Amino acid sequence: MYRVVTVDIEKCTGCRSCEIACSLHNFGECNPARARIHVVKTQKEGVTTAVPVLCRQCADPLCVKMCPAEALSRNEETGAIVVAKERCLGCHTCVYVCPFGAPAVDPITGVCEKCTLCDGDPYCVRVCAKEALTFGDVFEEGPHRKRAGLEKYLEHLETVTES
Amino acid sequence: MPFLNAGEILHVDLTTGEIRTQPTRDYANRYLGGRAINAALMYDLVGPDTDPLGPENVLALGVGPLGATPYPGCSRIDVMARSPVTNLLGDSNMGGYWGAELKYAGYDHLVLRGRSAKPVYVWIHNDQVELRDATKLLGKTTHDTQQAILEELDNPNVKAFSIGPAGENEVTWADLHQGTCHAAARTGMGAVMGSKNVKAVAVRGTQAVGVADPDGLMQACLEAHAAIRGSEMYQEYSTVGTSWCEASYGRSGIECGGDGHEGPIADWDPHRDQAFDEFWAEYGIKRTGCMGCPVHCMETYYVPGIGSASMSCELYTQSSGELRQDLLRGIKLVKLCQEMGIDETSVSNVLQWLLVLKDMGIIDDSHLDGVPLAWGDVDSQVEFTKKIIHREGVGDVFAGGLLAAAKHLDAHTASGPRAGQSTYYYAMQVNNSPMYGINPRVKSMALAYAVGRRSDCISDLNMQDFDIMSVSAEYPGWTDEQRKDAAEFDAATAVYVSGEPRAADFDAIDGKAMIVHDMGRTVGMADMAGTCKQHMKWLYLDATPSHMAAAISAGLGKTVTSDDLMWASLQLRTLERAIECKWGRRREHDTIPEKEFDKLVSQGVFKGRSCTSREDLEAMKDEYYWLRGWDKGTGVPFGETLRDFGLDHVAEDLAQLGILPACADETARRQGIAKASTLGYVWPELVGRNNPGGNKAPWADEPEGSAAEAAEES
Repeated sequence: MYRVVTVDIEKCTGCRSCEIACSLHNFGECNPARARIHVVKTQKEGVTTAVPVLCRQCADPLCVKMCPAEALSRNEETGAIVVAKERCLGCHTCVYVCPFGAPAVDPITGVCEKCTLCDGDPYCVRVCAKEALTFGDVFEEGPHRKRAGLEKYLEHLETVTES
Repeated sequence: MPFLNAGEILHVDLTTGEIRTQPTRDYANRYLGGRAINAALMYDLVGPDTDPLGPENVLALGVGPLGATPYPGCSRIDVMARSPVTNLLGDSNMGGYWGAELKYAGYDHLVLRGRSAKPVYVWIHNDQVELRDATKLLGKTTHDTQQAILEELDNPNVKAFSIGPAGENEVTWADLHQGTCHAAARTGMGAVMGSKNVKAVAVRGTQAVGVADPDGLMQACLEAHAAIRGSEMYQEYSTVGTSWCEASYGRSGIECGGDGHEGPIADWDPHRDQAFDEFWAEYGIKRTGCMGCPVHCMETYYVPGIGSASMSCELYTQSSGELRQDLLRGIKLVKLCQEMGIDETSVSNVLQWLLVLKDMGIIDDSHLDGVPLAWGDVDSQVEFTKKIIHREGVGDVFAGGLLAAAKHLDAHTASGPRAGQSTYYYAMQVNNSPMYGINPRVKSMALAYAVGRRSDCISDLNMQDFDIMSVSAEYPGWTDEQRKDAAEFDAATAVYVSGEPRAADFDAIDGKAMIVHDMGRTVGMADMAGTCKQHMKWLYLDATPSHMAAAISAGLGKTVTSDDLMWASLQLRTLERAIECKWGRRREHDTIPEKEFDKLVSQGVFKGRSCTSREDLEAMKDEYYWLRGWDKGTGVPFGETLRDFGLDHVAEDLAQLGILPACADETARRQGIAKASTLGYVWPELVGRNNPGGNKAPWADEPEGSAAEAAEES
């Protein structure tokens, strides 16, 4: 069973700690532009919504299928989709085909840089104070969310019956 | 690449359009960063005759060495200029996302000088820096300005801060705003930027901040994160926020609420903290914070018909309690101030002053262009504030500051009702800067206001100071047992920090100077490093100078201890003081409004207590100057003290100006600084440390060649 970084956008305040930690751990420098996780923010009427975007480690990943150099594959130990950098052409195909735009070709190394789950202990999760990012069993996540939805519904029902 | 620092200071001359850079190293070898380098820039670039709103004034924005790293609260930007409010050193601190972006663009500091002929905004995209036409942006709110810039540059990753209409009109209390809620609000920094014809500064950076030991820095940062998240108060701040502080002020009677002027509020409600929960439940949207912050101390509200606004402690105090209205009304004023780019604290203070003058029969609506200003009536408050922002009618006079407004009112009112006093006598101000909603009648507050940097109290006193006086015992929902424990803990803390057995005594002056000094130096460390003071004991969270020192050491690749940080903090405050003294500040300017002497707290838990006399304040000031190594007679730092902190050039300067005091008792001076260097309870391993002495910045690079010479010798 693979573990992935799961995102709860209701908890994310958009502080971007994950971006800085990711770049420091993976590149040895503080530079969110190179991070493998990006917090995408929008502001409407002064209220900010923030969505951390990173590799979903898909079960049937398009990036792996479409990579012309066959540089992408799954690390069976961590479950992460990883790049064989010596094979990567830097052609951006993975960026285009990914429904989330999660991978990126690094402007300095010129090859695809994507989330490797930090070899099984992701630093983005470690610095996330709000626990908007968690490292969990992807197949358990669905049932958790379903239950959370049910609880919300029950809460709503209570307010309705009270009033 | 220089570690931790981005490496360059960006100078923009708006008169000539010249854009140049200077290595940060020129300053970083002597000063730690952030607020300290800003102060050094002010010292070098601004003279005693500089007009705050003239082209020769300098607006400096700086990020510290821990800014833009994973260290918690890495977002802070220190903003300095000569202040149009006080005509002394203006300084304000802003969070948000702009500061880190500046570092990613390759700059530690941005220095704006001169005056542009036409309205512009500065666009910094890594090494591409340009001045762009801002004509279309004139008149726009702070928020709309930033949105328009993002659209114009077609880049959603750009971070911008701007002034609003208040800054364009050079209203003395105008501020800088970033997003909807991050502001450099105090001391009129928006007016300075407006006077330079700069509407906004936008930045996008995609470069690295270099680190000597990435794993070490990551570890140090994770430890600081863990310390904050493990703090006893963390859950409160990260879920309830700081709204409860306001309730605590209210219950203690420390909040002015009109009492700062004359007489208690008739319908004052000590239990209105309940209302925060209800307000949050009804209108709260989400918690908001700054870059890299685990706390998220602000609340974002959406109120139908008003819109969204984000608030934290002081905004609650000022907008509601101070003007005797509920939060729903108060938020309307907050929203206006945030959009128009004006300091809400100053606005509320001025409105309160006018309402008191009105209550006393000194002025009436006719002095306010017929605006029926009233307590609890936010619509009239908003109407009058708009007059100030847009300089309409009498608002034009008020936009020039409290002193100008008082002169105008004096000339247009009968002197009978004010007993021959100027209306300025009733203004709650220090050096013309409108006070916070915190009562100066309490002894340590009086001292903090009097000697505080930028003529206000907030950096030099804090939650802890209130708590020492057992206000935390009034935390909403606590049991009697908890109140008792808190009071005992606070008392013990006070004694520990100051070494005075009576320090926790509300009515005594003993040890208050050490308590105020202790907080000032803690805040200084955070402001220099570019992190948030709220993560330290300022707000009862457990990040310490040791955490900061560990992170800086790993980042720089050389050992910097918490002792070094304290040395830097003492250096900083002495430099700031020397600047102010050079510009004319002396001991007599360190005071509180005259009418506040010999007054009792008139409501709340401490009703009938305290009563700071002028003698009390003068005695506390004596002790404070002694701790700082400043001359008691004039309040100017001794040459010996300046030299202790590597400020020899400043000492020479002050001597040339003939204002450098002679130190008659070197032993006493050294004893003062030795005591000031004794660290308090959160750093027990350092208690008893003596004057660090020496005058070289401990983190300075070795001069070129010296390492090779040393190698040769060995």
